[in-house]
Amino acid sequence: MIRRCLDGLYLGAGMLAALFMVSIGVLIVTSVIARLFGSYVPGLNQYAGYAMAASSFLALAYTFRAGGHIRVALVLSRLEGRTRWLAELWCLGVGAFLAGYVARFSIKMVQVSHMLGDVSEGVDATPLWIPQLGMAIGSTIFTIALLDRLVAVARGAPIEKIGGEPAAVE
Amino acid sequence: MEDALLTGIFLVTLFFLLGSGLWVGLSLVGVALIGMELFTSRPVGDAMATTIWSATSSWTLTALPLFIWMGDILFRTRLSEDLFRGLAPWMTALPGRLLHTNIVGCAVFAAVSGSSAATLATVGKMSIPELRRRKYPETMIIGTLAGAGTLGLLIPPSIIMIVYGVTVNESIAQLFMAGILPGIMLAGLFMGYIGIRALLQPDLMPDKGDPMNFIGKIKRSVYLLPVVGLILAVLGSIYFGIATATEAAVLGVIGALLLSLVQGSLNWDNFVESLLGATRTSCMIALILAGAHFLTLAMGFTGLPRHLAEFIGSLQLSPLMLIVALTVFYIVLGCFLDGISSVVLTMAVVEPMIRQAGIDIVWFGIFLVIVVEMAQITPPVGFNLFVLQGMTDHDMGYIARAAIPMFLVMVVAVGLIVAFPELVLFLPETMRQGPG
Repeated sequence: MIRRCLDGLYLGAGMLAALFMVSIGVLIVTSVIARLFGSYVPGLNQYAGYAMAASSFLALAYTFRAGGHIRVALVLSRLEGRTRWLAELWCLGVGAFLAGYVARFSIKMVQVSHMLGDVSEGVDATPLWIPQLGMAIGSTIFTIALLDRLVAVARGAPIEKIGGEPAAVE
Repeated sequence: MEDALLTGIFLVTLFFLLGSGLWVGLSLVGVALIGMELFTSRPVGDAMATTIWSATSSWTLTALPLFIWMGDILFRTRLSEDLFRGLAPWMTALPGRLLHTNIVGCAVFAAVSGSSAATLATVGKMSIPELRRRKYPETMIIGTLAGAGTLGLLIPPSIIMIVYGVTVNESIAQLFMAGILPGIMLAGLFMGYIGIRALLQPDLMPDKGDPMNFIGKIKRSVYLLPVVGLILAVLGSIYFGIATATEAAVLGVIGALLLSLVQGSLNWDNFVESLLGATRTSCMIALILAGAHFLTLAMGFTGLPRHLAEFIGSLQLSPLMLIVALTVFYIVLGCFLDGISSVVLTMAVVEPMIRQAGIDIVWFGIFLVIVVEMAQITPPVGFNLFVLQGMTDHDMGYIARAAIPMFLVMVVAVGLIVAFPELVLFLPETMRQGPG
């Protein structure tokens, strides 16, 4: 039950991230069309930036589950058995701590922006806490995913081989 | 003295975290965190959150996911077959014949894709079996492909140039334009190498196939029209100042979708797959960029980059010496790290250094891309080698050896852009200003 909820959470956030990516395209097309007709819709560029941030952070956990985040395999690929297991626990533990640290201060940033009523410096004057929510939520889900995996590996779940997708950008 | 200690701590932590297999983006966050906690009294967490926020929500960065998506869509089309069929008839007249389809195919696909692995995979999917069937020498097939795949990074659009541009705050449109001539030049050098090898060792190459008449060639080339049109639209709109890099990327995505729709290779599953794939890739890069921005902030507080730049300045190195030193440095670094990580990781320190030395930032970007490309075909960490390993079942050592001549050709290319910086700077200087 919990397993299905968590997997659903990661995938759902990933799908949402994909939608935000599409929305970048839609926003930019809108601004280009507006320009062709000689008008100007204020704030579209900022919105595209917010969508970029939301997409990046919401996809973190999903990308992690898909093995999409890049890591140096030089040492890891030479380890086996118990040492490999310990190394994986180390990576997941430190990773969860750092992701948690980012999440904690992202949440604080949202709270502070909300409290102070910070608005964007651009023409859009969006209250900043709204787009910043994406970063806070995404990094929190990422932390959960790392902890989830930490517990699973600690209990003896198989460790995947490294490699594959990151190659797609190089 | 304090600087030496600082540098030492940063380096040791960094290599330890990276080497232990911690994800690159998180490693950078970790190093920055330790550095700031140890050497400043600032509230670290808040500074980190605002830095990461402004880095990831920037408008310039939006070109990244869009160009990745464009490449991903085209990767799933029949483009690899079309490229081979369209190019092959024209290459038979050159010494080395169909081997040139590797180079030209990569150059063409590089102009719609920002990644060298995707370029390699797309072109190789078709050309490896076809060239093998025609009995071309295996080392030449593999070597030329490994080298030419790197054009994916140099010929725009280029993911790594976007990353570089965002990191040093330089116009991505300018960087893209700067990559075109060096890209074509490098492709020319690769072809020259194939030609010379073929002339020196004629028995190496198989016999000519059936000659094709001119009309037949033209008919075959029709397959290339859509992709050539797409390239002209995307790069042309940037050069003539009609579109920003991001707008050109949207144009590219729409064009790629249309192209695969017309080809009949676009369906709902394919579409979703390309979208999710691009989301993952761009998220992976965004995490590294977020970590890198935080690290830059942390290093800025310590004053380390400025001191290092002053130190290098005090050595009175000529810019040429600096470039030689940096070339060696990046090739060594590339033995351990992928290209994007090496760029973001080092720019905090290297940028002040090259500005101090009076080296043009756009020019340096192109130089950096070529050097990082060279690292792509050197073991133990070279993504092109990994990709080719997966495609051919040869071991890494064999592929790396086959690629050595191409590595040397790239050294020549670096020499040429050092000797003739206009090669890089001509297009960016003549392009029209973009709309925004």
